[in-house]
Amino acid sequence: MLPQKTVKSFQAQNRTLQGSNSHQTKLSAWKIKQDLSNSKSILKHGQNNLVEDCGHDDNQAGDALQIAVGYFEKGPIKTSWSENKTLERHLKTVENVAWKNGLAPEEIDILLNVALSGKFGNAVNTRILKCMIPATLVSEDSVVKAVSWLCVGKCSGSTKVLFYRWLIAMFDFIDHKEQINLLYGFFFASLQDDALCPYVCHLLYLLTKKENVKPFRVRKLLDLQAKMGMQPHLQALLLLYKSFAPTLISVSLPVRKKIYFKNSENLWKTALFAARQRNQGLSPEPLKLMLGPAKVRPLKRKWNSQSIIPLLNSSNYTKECGKKMSLSDCLNSNGSFPPEQLQNFPQLLQNIHCLELPSQMGSVLSNSLLLHYINCVKDELVLLRLYYWLSQTLQEECIWYKMNNYEHGKEFSNFLDSIIRAECFLQEGFYSCEAFLYKCLPLWDGFCCQSQFLQLVSWIPFSNFSEVKPLLFDHLAQLFFTSTIYFKCSVLQSLKELLQNWLLWLSMDVHRKPVIRSPLETTLGESMNSVSKLIHYVGWLSTAAVRLESNSTFLLHFILDFYEKVCDIHINYDLPLVILFPPGIFFPALLSLDASILNQLCYIMHRYRQNLTAAKKNELLQKAKSEFNFSNKIYQEFNYYLTAMVGCLWTSRPFEKGMHIDPKILEKAGVAEYKDSLNLVHHPSLFSYAVFFLLQESPEERTINMSSIRGKKWNWYLDYLFSEGLQGLKLFIRSSIHRSSVP
Amino acid sequence: MSVLRPLDKLPVLNTATILLVGTEDALVQQLADSMLKEDCASELRVHLTRSLPLPSNVNRPRIDLIVFVINLHSKYSLQNVERSLHHVDASFFLGKVCFLTTGAGRESHCSIHRNTVAMLAHTYRSPLLFCDLEVEEFRATMARRLVRMLQICAGHVPGVSALNLLSLLKSSESPSPEDP
Repeated sequence: MLPQKTVKSFQAQNRTLQGSNSHQTKLSAWKIKQDLSNSKSILKHGQNNLVEDCGHDDNQAGDALQIAVGYFEKGPIKTSWSENKTLERHLKTVENVAWKNGLAPEEIDILLNVALSGKFGNAVNTRILKCMIPATLVSEDSVVKAVSWLCVGKCSGSTKVLFYRWLIAMFDFIDHKEQINLLYGFFFASLQDDALCPYVCHLLYLLTKKENVKPFRVRKLLDLQAKMGMQPHLQALLLLYKSFAPTLISVSLPVRKKIYFKNSENLWKTALFAARQRNQGLSPEPLKLMLGPAKVRPLKRKWNSQSIIPLLNSSNYTKECGKKMSLSDCLNSNGSFPPEQLQNFPQLLQNIHCLELPSQMGSVLSNSLLLHYINCVKDELVLLRLYYWLSQTLQEECIWYKMNNYEHGKEFSNFLDSIIRAECFLQEGFYSCEAFLYKCLPLWDGFCCQSQFLQLVSWIPFSNFSEVKPLLFDHLAQLFFTSTIYFKCSVLQSLKELLQNWLLWLSMDVHRKPVIRSPLETTLGESMNSVSKLIHYVGWLSTAAVRLESNSTFLLHFILDFYEKVCDIHINYDLPLVILFPPGIFFPALLSLDASILNQLCYIMHRYRQNLTAAKKNELLQKAKSEFNFSNKIYQEFNYYLTAMVGCLWTSRPFEKGMHIDPKILEKAGVAEYKDSLNLVHHPSLFSYAVFFLLQESPEERTINMSSIRGKKWNWYLDYLFSEGLQGLKLFIRSSIHRSSVP
Repeated sequence: MSVLRPLDKLPVLNTATILLVGTEDALVQQLADSMLKEDCASELRVHLTRSLPLPSNVNRPRIDLIVFVINLHSKYSLQNVERSLHHVDASFFLGKVCFLTTGAGRESHCSIHRNTVAMLAHTYRSPLLFCDLEVEEFRATMARRLVRMLQICAGHVPGVSALNLLSLLKSSESPSPEDP
């Protein structure tokens, strides 16, 4: 019954404040007045600081504002034409100041009362509500008072809607929320109103704590859903309830839905942004005064230089207002440990059982200790809250949705950076980022925030490739083929990281039953299928890119980097998958003019050999046919590549199978002796090594005979090549060639 | 000559010509300027027009790529493009046409849905690009991509043809590499 009591007393306060005839006893009125004047002086102080910052010009505006607020407080005297004019003038004053600097908490307090008490017409109320922009914070009391006016029934439906929207938009600016949480029942009852329902849902979503979830509320919500159909806002709230109390709700709800709520912040967007900046830019003094406790807020400046990520602030940490509490006090009295007091890792370990999460999940992104915590809690809700915050914020901050504000780009890319850091830290991708990519990648130009976007791509959670392809990879391919070679290389790089992340997740998942959070409850076979599709996709991209960029060495490097990962899947990740590169990659690499490419190719062939031998051994050991036996096709393909390589580099019999050129044509072209032109000595990428080798031996020689490298000299030449750093070649020759066959 | 054909003229040596069709004069002009700033081995020619057909009495080089610019904020620009498309010979759609959509970022201003344009591009089997031309950085990137496409369409990149590029860009229909 506490909420109603507070409501009443606040209405009493109202009356005294308005100076109308009070029916209260003098004593209580006096008490309240004193309270108010106390808080006023504190608030004034804060406001003065602000005004001083803004300079002389604003001082005058401040005076005008005081007069205007006073005017509204008194209420309309009579409705004459001249009165309308003054009203208009005062409204203008308030609007100007509000949009420029924001309003002090006490002004908001008064004006909210005015707007919701219905003293003026609907139009005026709307205008007042629309300019309720806080300079720094909104005091909780004002909100409670305002809510109390909703019960009186003096304001129209549209004003109510606007008020709820305002409340949602300003939620972060309310200094503390315990009293508001006490009104939970009242808000919940307002769900009945069809017009209010979406907004009330949103508010409840922000407000709900575990103890608010009660069976009767769940029943009511389910009834509502049955009546109104699957409304996204109801679903969101139900989902939240379900995550708090999974036993109470048995209906299945879609987990991966993008945006549940209508955006309430639109009206105040720019103002909110400015207010956030003000709050961060200001010296902490006025903030501290308003918040009460004499604690310095731990500003994690390291990651937190941008304003998009909110500051750390627990939901009920101002409970111990006014008292200075030691750590142990805090533990004993409260039972929960506020996150902003968390300073180091030992503290986290000591309090991990009673750590309270911040009121705004976004703030964990900038706090590595809390990320540790998130990493080890098994609470679905934590991630759900984080995802919800992320998808909202990403949507709002994304640059190409804010065309008029392009300077904002730096801030956005910083924000993405800290998301990526958090993803790296947790070693898992966020679904909200994935959904964001699906939505905005088609509009991406491939240039702005390039590295951030590509890194986000590499953190896409493991999913069915065929499903993701039309949403994401098709658009990526379009960008890939029309952009520069550098972009192509970056894409290949991030796809390599994506593959690595997927493989890591899978190799972890193979050994334990997939948890609920794991994206797909698939069999290993389906997962392997998805991975192999990704690899084929990259193969397709690379083959086309090699052609588009006319065999660029630079590009080949990135492609072979990718295949270095691919060739070792079986051994490194213990997954039953070996996929070879397409011929469109193999042959350009084999005939490349760059020795390092050839070296890399040799290394990859060597690793393929190791993986395939290991796979064969496994098969022989297991005897029983498992579903993951490699088909003979892969071995044949590998042998084909191997023969081609040995034929070119070693035995000087290149392409004996599958290629026939009329000797007459070769004679005409002057390359009748073509057979040894691709061996280790004459290969275009190794030719210079051979020349240097010969010159080392006999520096005086004017003409050198390349074909003199044979027999023992061939072995010396090999040692020379190995000493020059061609380790891949060394491994390849050791594993694939029996040295007896030295030509 | 009411219908534009890709191969009714001989190519000029080392010259690539692009035709930008769109009602957004200022934006298209700026796009053309950014394209000309790109350094490129071939000699670039950019022709602008509000709509097709082109006047027949002017001597102009062979056109290697037509870009239809559609502004999602204006229904007129879409209608204009749809009308102009009738004056393009079918063989142009073998890789020498693309659609460029601007204004998709500000969804609240859109009077045409993105899917409408996607359908149009799909009907004509041509790639669809998105770019907000009002922002200079985005425009410059798009100009670079268009120049790259133009070079391929003009046959200045060895081993790749316009049709080839088209098949790559329509990647959703790309054959699965698993098939033999």
